Amino acid sequence: MPLVQVLADGLVVGAMIALGAVGLTLVYAILRFANFAHGELIAWGGYFALSLLTLATGWLGLEAGGIGGLSIGWALLAALAGAMVLTAALGIGLDALLFRSLRRRGGAITLIIASFGAALALRNLIAFLYGPTPTYYSRAIPMALPLLPEEVAAVTGQIRMTPDQLFILGLTAVLVVALHLFLSRSTLGRAMRATAENPDLARLFGIDTRVVIRWTWAIGGMLAAVAGVCFGLTAQVRPQMGFDLLLPLFAAAILGGIGSFHGAVAGGLILGVAESIGVHLIGAEYRQAVAFVVLIAVLIARPAGLFGERD
Amino acid sequence: MSALLDVAGLEAGYEPGLPIVRGASLTVGEREIVVLLGPNGAGKSTLIKAIAGLVPASGGSVRLDGRDITGVRADRLPGMGLAFVPQTENVFGTLTVRENLELAAAILPRSRRAEAVARALALFPDLAAQAGLRARRLSGGQRQMLATARGLIVAPRLILLDEPSAGLSPKLVDDVFRQLVRVRDSGVSILLVEQNVRAALAIADRGYVLVDGRERLSGRRDELEGNPAVGALFLGGVPAGEAA
Repeated sequence: MPLVQVLADGLVVGAMIALGAVGLTLVYAILRFANFAHGELIAWGGYFALSLLTLATGWLGLEAGGIGGLSIGWALLAALAGAMVLTAALGIGLDALLFRSLRRRGGAITLIIASFGAALALRNLIAFLYGPTPTYYSRAIPMALPLLPEEVAAVTGQIRMTPDQLFILGLTAVLVVALHLFLSRSTLGRAMRATAENPDLARLFGIDTRVVIRWTWAIGGMLAAVAGVCFGLTAQVRPQMGFDLLLPLFAAAILGGIGSFHGAVAGGLILGVAESIGVHLIGAEYRQAVAFVVLIAVLIARPAGLFGERD
Repeated sequence: MSALLDVAGLEAGYEPGLPIVRGASLTVGEREIVVLLGPNGAGKSTLIKAIAGLVPASGGSVRLDGRDITGVRADRLPGMGLAFVPQTENVFGTLTVRENLELAAAILPRSRRAEAVARALALFPDLAAQAGLRARRLSGGQRQMLATARGLIVAPRLILLDEPSAGLSPKLVDDVFRQLVRVRDSGVSILLVEQNVRAALAIADRGYVLVDGRERLSGRRDELEGNPAVGALFLGGVPAGEAA
């Protein structure tokens, strides 16, 4: 396989990890705890979309077929939008039921252990409701298209990607740019950055930090849903998918500098590419080992991560 | 006429059952600079934080312009005309000077925000030149100016300042305090906590001496300046006298 193909495949995986890692890092930045249930938000996003897809094709009669070579049709786009809303609500609900009261009374360890418990419950709830077997959104076998012109491909090797993979890269790029603008320009985005830096001072600025916290979960949940649906598109949805993604998510967030939005994006992409190269050179069984070698190497050089700042 | 700020028998602390402020009472009138003095650990900072809603009150009351604001959430007070500037970490280092001011102005109606930011920058020309700089790169004096400008941006009736002179050179202390007099003259009342007794009394209209979470002495500036018990404070002692 040509190197450019390995890189391209790595970017697609990296985009999905990045979407998850951004949510993880935002929750960490605002609430100062590592949420081990974030992977389950991704899994639930994938399954919400699966249910909505059934609804959309069955009840609303939307075409299940794809738009232009995509296996993604209007039905799945509608399901994705719905899953984003539902996963955002799941994140907000989880906070209201569990984390909010623990924040008042418990410490960071209590929150982390509680998130473990929540993850276990959410994961098993999926297996209970949907069954343990993996499920596909679509049975169609996507055609991989050559992306480079022949003259270039003769030198570098050809890149082949399915329209779905291109859709995932494009959607991730749009979401990352939108979130960057939101955090740097909008009042709510700046209020989020302010709350991450110093919640007490944020309140003195007149910022209702409870609203900021709700939006943090909402944004994390929406991005998790997109990651989950993308995962379902490139592979399949399965109950333990969130758990399997958890280590890469944390590795990406820590690699970029935990709490840093740009770091989580960079960390996700680097990790995806590193995994892809590792699989290519060493073999699929060492996929995660390669990711951790990269993580360790970066942390030795920059203990606070790529974009992190030491206190 | 009732005072702008009326604190009566306030009890407050970080842990339930362990009040640091123990029945403190004070008032701040319109267009008045009131200074809160006292030895270390007297509860001055806790008292001012309790007024600002950051430390829960377990007893007593705080009234702003006759309205009970005891237990009101800290984020609602700027909109009610009360601003608090903490001693340290009083600006957002990762945001620029302008972003800090715009964020504070966000509680104003949209049409008034730009004007409020422009007014704050006009009041502190040093800041205007650094508007695009991240606040963590400001000097100590500029930081304090930004913190004060942020407090004033919502056009409060009362601003609470916790040791605005902390960490500043004597010349900068003079600058900051001269600025406070101008702020008072523009119609904003000021309640300030200070260790720098001499400089604070020089600009204050009235003052209180807090000991063990309760006011021990109070009076006009000249009364406090002439009181030997306050003189003892200069030396870091605890005043033994009764209220002047």
